[in-house]
Amino acid sequence: MTDATRVAAAASSRDPSIGLTAVASLRGLLESLEELQVTNARAQGWSWQQIADVLRVSRQAVHKKYRRFGF
Amino acid sequence: MFERFTDKARRVVVLAQDAARGRQAGTIRTEHLLAALFEVPDNLALAVLEGFGVTKADVLADIDRLPGAGPAPSDADALAALGIDLDEVRRQVEDAFGAGALDRTRAAAGRAWRRGGHIPFEREAKKVLELALREAVRMTHNYIGTEHILLGMLHSETGAGQRILLARGVRQDAARVVVEELVRTRRAG
Repeated sequence: MTDATRVAAAASSRDPSIGLTAVASLRGLLESLEELQVTNARAQGWSWQQIADVLRVSRQAVHKKYRRFGF
Repeated sequence: MFERFTDKARRVVVLAQDAARGRQAGTIRTEHLLAALFEVPDNLALAVLEGFGVTKADVLADIDRLPGAGPAPSDADALAALGIDLDEVRRQVEDAFGAGALDRTRAAAGRAWRRGGHIPFEREAKKVLELALREAVRMTHNYIGTEHILLGMLHSETGAGQRILLARGVRQDAARVVVEELVRTRRAG
């Protein structure tokens, strides 16, 4: 199966356990990728405002989520 | 309420958590309590179920057939269903940030912790334990045993555990009679 047809198959799957599991895994991957990229941006001296602009969220949102990382 | 649970009944509650975790469930449900009954040797609930001809193998097979049962697919398999190749993503990330970068994130660690951590009781499973107390009171027993957990599970509003048992012919009124008989003979002998 090509990727395109597989996406179509998953998108059209009416089985909630398949669709919801895929969404949960996708959210987990998203969280890890965002954390890596925010960490990297801070290490390179980006401001919270710059990071927030590119992520298209508010500065408060990104700061609140990542300030506990201590950077 | 838990101080009135017998040792075996407590073990059932503890082992229900293992039953849920082993099936990668996010909450402890009534079918996990049912599975746990079979993990505590020589208990009165099992004697009742034996009387109805219900075996461990049958019940475990029924639980596996519930919707959403079976091991959850790995993240890689789940993402493949969306056309995302997790191995490829991991390769790209590790090229940029070093080996293990993706799995070292706090987000990934948090997910692993949740998988190994405390699993809460779902509403219906809690209800079974409350109904177990009610069954004990009704029989004027001053303890809550595995047999009361079983009877609590046989109330109609308690989810998959009840449905599985009912489909195997275990009715609450009949089970109560069996429990009372077993308790009487145990006291007598």
